[in-house]
Amino acid sequence: MTDKSNKKLHGVYAEFDAVDPLLAACRRVRDAGYVKTDAFTPFPVHGIDKALGIKPTALPWIALACGLTGTAIGVFMQVFMNTFDYPYIISGKPFFSMPAFIPVSFELTILLASFGAFFGMLALNGLPKFSNPIFTDPGFDRATDDKFFLFIDSADPRFNHKGVARLLTDAGGANLVDVYEDDTSTQSPKWLWIVLGSVIFLSMIPLLLVARMRVTNSSSPRFHVFFDMDFSPAKGAQMTTSLFADGRSMRPDVPGTVAVGQFDRELDFYSGIDMDELARRDSGRAERLVRAMLYPDDPQDATADAEAAAEQPADAVPATDQPAAEAEPAEAATAPPAAESPATELNPAVVEPAPSPTGAAVTSEDTTPWLRKNPLELSVEVVERGRTQFDIYCATCHGNDGRGNGLVNRRAQRILATAWVQPSSLHQDTLYQDVYPDGKLFSTISNGIRKMSGYGSQIKASDRWAIVAYVRAMQASQNADVDDLPVDKRDELKKLKAEVEAKLAAAAEAEQKKAAEAELKRAEAAKQKPADAAAKAIP
Amino acid sequence: MSEHKHHLKTADDPSFQLPASLAALAVPLAAVGGAMLIIGFLIGAVAGPGDAAESWRFTMSAYLVAFTFCFSISLGCLFFVLIQHLCRAGWSVVIRRVAEIFMIAIPALALLFIPILLASWSPSGVLYPWSDAGFGDSHGIPASTWEEKLRYLNSGWFSVRSAIYLVLLSGLAIYYFRLSRLQDETGELTLTERMQARSGPAVMIFSLVTTFAAFDWLMSLAPMWYSTMFGVYIFAGSMLAAHSAVTVATYLLQSRGAIRDEVTIEHYHDLGKFLFGFVTFWTYIAFSQFMLIWYANIPEETEWFYTRMQGPWHSISYLMIFFHWLFPFLGLLSRHVRRRPKLVFAWSIYLLVVHFFDLYWIVMPQAGPTLGGASGILVSLLLTLGMFGLYIGGMLWFTRCKQVKILAVRDPRLPESLAFENI
Repeated sequence: MTDKSNKKLHGVYAEFDAVDPLLAACRRVRDAGYVKTDAFTPFPVHGIDKALGIKPTALPWIALACGLTGTAIGVFMQVFMNTFDYPYIISGKPFFSMPAFIPVSFELTILLASFGAFFGMLALNGLPKFSNPIFTDPGFDRATDDKFFLFIDSADPRFNHKGVARLLTDAGGANLVDVYEDDTSTQSPKWLWIVLGSVIFLSMIPLLLVARMRVTNSSSPRFHVFFDMDFSPAKGAQMTTSLFADGRSMRPDVPGTVAVGQFDRELDFYSGIDMDELARRDSGRAERLVRAMLYPDDPQDATADAEAAAEQPADAVPATDQPAAEAEPAEAATAPPAAESPATELNPAVVEPAPSPTGAAVTSEDTTPWLRKNPLELSVEVVERGRTQFDIYCATCHGNDGRGNGLVNRRAQRILATAWVQPSSLHQDTLYQDVYPDGKLFSTISNGIRKMSGYGSQIKASDRWAIVAYVRAMQASQNADVDDLPVDKRDELKKLKAEVEAKLAAAAEAEQKKAAEAELKRAEAAKQKPADAAAKAIP
Repeated sequence: MSEHKHHLKTADDPSFQLPASLAALAVPLAAVGGAMLIIGFLIGAVAGPGDAAESWRFTMSAYLVAFTFCFSISLGCLFFVLIQHLCRAGWSVVIRRVAEIFMIAIPALALLFIPILLASWSPSGVLYPWSDAGFGDSHGIPASTWEEKLRYLNSGWFSVRSAIYLVLLSGLAIYYFRLSRLQDETGELTLTERMQARSGPAVMIFSLVTTFAAFDWLMSLAPMWYSTMFGVYIFAGSMLAAHSAVTVATYLLQSRGAIRDEVTIEHYHDLGKFLFGFVTFWTYIAFSQFMLIWYANIPEETEWFYTRMQGPWHSISYLMIFFHWLFPFLGLLSRHVRRRPKLVFAWSIYLLVVHFFDLYWIVMPQAGPTLGGASGILVSLLLTLGMFGLYIGGMLWFTRCKQVKILAVRDPRLPESLAFENI
């Protein structure tokens, strides 16, 4: 005891032999007004909280708060991500679909509530604690074996060494022990740092190796841990497969079915033809057309071919409708309409071509009741959409300006391709609205014409109509007058024109100046030369 | 523990007997219940909703709801008893006998199953559509599929299976009840050991029987629909009902002066925890069943929920989320609530009511698209209250006649249960 006299007292504990005396002592200590107390038992003892006067813990509230935080995070994260930030259709569900959000919210609730309970418990207990002065006494080890201990902390406001000792003795405690604060060094031992440092150093080695491998080459093939993740067995576009008889991995629509989002508008929208009118004029052709739209890949017999062809009334158009054939002289001359499409023969419903040996002045009338008006509600957005689609699909041949001189055409001319037919310029009278209705233009885009293949399977119907709108806008733009613009845009255009003109003038002037300078230099050089020659000649 | 001094009572203490005021209710309850059951049937037969066939279908379905409601309580109590033995629980000994009394009603309930069994032989499919051989044809089910279905769902095989379920469950109930009562006399430790040793296989039998009984008796009302989770769903509801029923019965017994010193706040606290847990478990299972079907969105699976999203069932489906989960979940979340016997008792009554609506929601949409109007609601009420009266009255009568003690007085774990404390 004497050697400890200069140490600070941490508290006093007493030993008990059984649960009941311990509980009785706890109650006495509690009733005496001590609050900084603790009991140590080899096993959990029910009712000891009450006996020690421990207040109900705040832990449930911490767990509840954390759990609700988890719910909120789960719900808001998913709603934000799936509904607003990156709307993505998953399994055909709406962007905001609560049932799909519940599992994640539920798991987050549980996770955060568990974290709250676990770490909250540690925090409320002041853990982790690396040492406790009580443990320094070897007699205390029996707290994990067969003895019960009651401890009163010296930090208790009522603490009084003698009074506490008497109270504990009176309450039946034996072997009272004074616990002194641990005054050993709080410095961590050196070996701990060495071990820690070594472990950190060693753990870096794999990372360094990985980093090295990433910047060096190796002649051996890559090792695939998950082969089928590196090389997905899923088929890509245009791949073949042995699974289907036709070998195509991209599956066409099942005949007679309608895909989601398809055919949700009336038939006129998909054919470009006033179908009611057509049915009235030629019901047989209307029926075949509808069949061909529903069963595009139905090669049953010749009739089916004919029906499929009936879908492409535009096929017959070139020879009949473009008599001038300025843009397609080769086509008009080499391909007599009857030969071009055998379907025309089988199917008189298709525009009857007047046989024309020259292929020039054909004046047969197009009896198809084409839609004369674009069924889309026209707006700047629609035209812009049409422009994007046109630039993707059409401009490669027809050119961005629609003059028929796209990249493909330029290349074909450079390599002098013999089979090449120059794409039409879209800026010609025969393609204007009054003679070439919107519906017909739509049909041409959908089903193709001459060398141009149909784009019906690649461009959505609404986008094809948008292209029609854009083509019309483009045509109008080539013949527009300043007065066609809205008043407020006219000045802008004039200003722009003035600017451009000024720039052009400046450029021309600069060019001229440069040319003049160059001329001057050349002249000077020419003058210099004889002089040099003369100078050379003199010596 | 030292604070408890009441385990000095002798086994024949009067507070371990059924209170006389409750015993006196036995015959009136059973008689009124039986009368209501008959009147309900008569009204259903004469003036039920819709035409004669619809009316009979409605009445039989309402009877099935009433039967299942009572049966699920007993079923849950049987499992409660088994699981206490399986995990050698000490806390529950003071309330185990109450559960055992509910459990021993199973053999009696087997008699009330007879009308359902008869309905399953109806060639017009009065309760189970599959007993009508033309159902597949009239509902556009391919003949080959329907034939395969009928291999399992046919009156003969259904009756055999039902008999097996009832015999097995009755056997378990009688076995555990007899041994427990025997211990009241002898106090033999070996009886506890025997009950514990057999509880493992018993739980296996129980779970298989419950699952298949749920498939046969309730799920086959929609013969083409299937959910492997359905058995667990019914089990979750049954356990909730069982814990509620034990709480209500214990509280009522205590209010009449019996087992006052034995069942303490601590036991209510534990029952409250189980109520809370099974509310959550029920929701978990119900939602899991829904979500898998909702996500896959396959017509033959969505059929069942589609039916419950039409007409009045749609509102009831939504109300279930609030009344069967959110309100009791929040209500039982707090420890303070669970430590107040009166509140636990009130929530138990509430949960019994919503459990009834759960079963109603499972069965009745298969009987028709509406609640059946005033006569339909009257028939449902009469049959349910009548069956419940008969059930409780019969139980009280049995307890009184057989002099069944309402506490397992010589269970070796009784002192542990009496001294039980939650921290």
